[in-house]
Amino acid sequence: MNTATAIALRNEIGKGLRFAWSERLQILIELPMFAVFVILLGPLLGQGQNLASGRVDWSLNSQTTSAMVVWFVPFTYFYMQVVKMFWRLLGEIQAGTIEQVHLSPLPPWLTAAAGRVAAAILETLFVAAATYGIVSTFVTIRLHWTAAALLPAAAIMIAAIGLSLIIAGATLVYKRIQIVNDLVLLMVMLFSASALPLIHVPGWWRAAGHAFPATDGVGSLYNTMLAHRSVTSAWGTGGLIPLLAVSTAYLLAGIGAFILGEHVAKNRGTLGRY
Amino acid sequence: MSAIVIPRTGAAEPAPRWFALPAFGNEAGKGLRLMWRRRFMVVVAATTFGLTYLGISLFVGGGHLVKDLMVLTVPALLAVVIANTAAVQGTGGIAEEINGGTLEQTRLSPASPQLQALGRMTALAIEGLAVAIVLGIVFVFGIGLDIDPHPAVLLPVLLTIGDALGYGLIMTALVVRVPSIGAITHVANMVIMAFGGVLIPVGLFPHGMQVFARFIPTALGVQSVNTILAGHGLAATWSDGTLPWLLAHAAVVVTAGLGLYVINIRHAQREGGLSPR
Repeated sequence: MNTATAIALRNEIGKGLRFAWSERLQILIELPMFAVFVILLGPLLGQGQNLASGRVDWSLNSQTTSAMVVWFVPFTYFYMQVVKMFWRLLGEIQAGTIEQVHLSPLPPWLTAAAGRVAAAILETLFVAAATYGIVSTFVTIRLHWTAAALLPAAAIMIAAIGLSLIIAGATLVYKRIQIVNDLVLLMVMLFSASALPLIHVPGWWRAAGHAFPATDGVGSLYNTMLAHRSVTSAWGTGGLIPLLAVSTAYLLAGIGAFILGEHVAKNRGTLGRY
Repeated sequence: MSAIVIPRTGAAEPAPRWFALPAFGNEAGKGLRLMWRRRFMVVVAATTFGLTYLGISLFVGGGHLVKDLMVLTVPALLAVVIANTAAVQGTGGIAEEINGGTLEQTRLSPASPQLQALGRMTALAIEGLAVAIVLGIVFVFGIGLDIDPHPAVLLPVLLTIGDALGYGLIMTALVVRVPSIGAITHVANMVIMAFGGVLIPVGLFPHGMQVFARFIPTALGVQSVNTILAGHGLAATWSDGTLPWLLAHAAVVVTAGLGLYVINIRHAQREGGLSPR
């Protein structure tokens, strides 16, 4: 890596971190919501019939809640990476500064991604730690902490970067598509639930789940941190081969989508114009 | 030596009263034209809301749809749709105008900021209502939810719409002050979804959570609607205190939204914050 590239990369990461710091109040406001969601949804899973007849047991089950934390933390990273990258990019498009990105020696997709990755990791670590702390005051969370979990964690990050680049590419062309963010993240969340023994899901849901970027990552984290299975098992939900294949495919698709979106916007002359 | 009198400059004259209606109509019309331009996104939004609700219902039902519970939670979904649309499109629209520099131009109009805000929110109300009506039809007839509509629900429905728009206006006003706050709208909407009765009826929350839920826009309206749909009538929702609280809540939220919007627009005008910072 030559000096100019290294400096540009460092600058983008630094800019992302400064943005994250400027949004610290927003993150503090967001933080309790993640914990509340886990605490609130835990006792309600599968209780539909009881709820319809007006009965609800608000006690939290340790096993279910632990699985929900494993499900929810990767989703937090997806949120931090995808949603915030979208808003930042949209701001740059609307202000016209997106065109200046092309003055950088870095490829534009790397400029967009690098500015967000480090900040999203730090934000997620902070939110995950706080969520863990808040939830564990209500119920014991039993997780097997092992370095092997770093493999699915890295795969989840790569998949999230890929997804954020796909959304970013679409943003360059279609601009205000925040609702697409919501739809995509919802799909990621719903289908990743098929990797956990939280609810009974139909076969098609389980099969379709593999095509979504978080499912096998969540499955692998569950295998490693809750089910005491090896992270190197090749197949099945959370298996090493689907985990790596899906993450790599999303990253490549993301880079491709960003380049395509940029190409279309440049040809239309709408890169920095709303 | 002759002299001419230079006209005095000072505060702008308030717009004449006749001007209010066309100015309001222009803002609402602009909002509706923008909605038509991004109609594909409106369809995506409706799909998102529908799938979110189906997903939640499947989670709570353990992989099955529990119709008896959905009868109680579907009114909350429709209210959330209106609140969500007002907040997401309101904040997105104003952030776009600030970043694009066109918010400054809107202040060249003699129309007051509150009149412009009302025009914007009317367009968003129509958009939210259109999506809510479509979803209501899909769920009631598509899934076969047994809901018996009663004309008395119109009052809490109107108040709930006011409440939801007031919330959207508060979020929009916050973006005028802090443009980077856009992403927080997603979290605020999650709070409304979690505590506004989409997961479970608000009455099933523990007492403390019920008190908290009463401050959430749409929660009181949904409770009131559910009481009426259960066949207890408007009098029951008045006597249990839900309707009076809803009246007060809607009045406070709408007033706060308008007030905050005007204050923040004037602040931005003074501090040069109507264009990108």
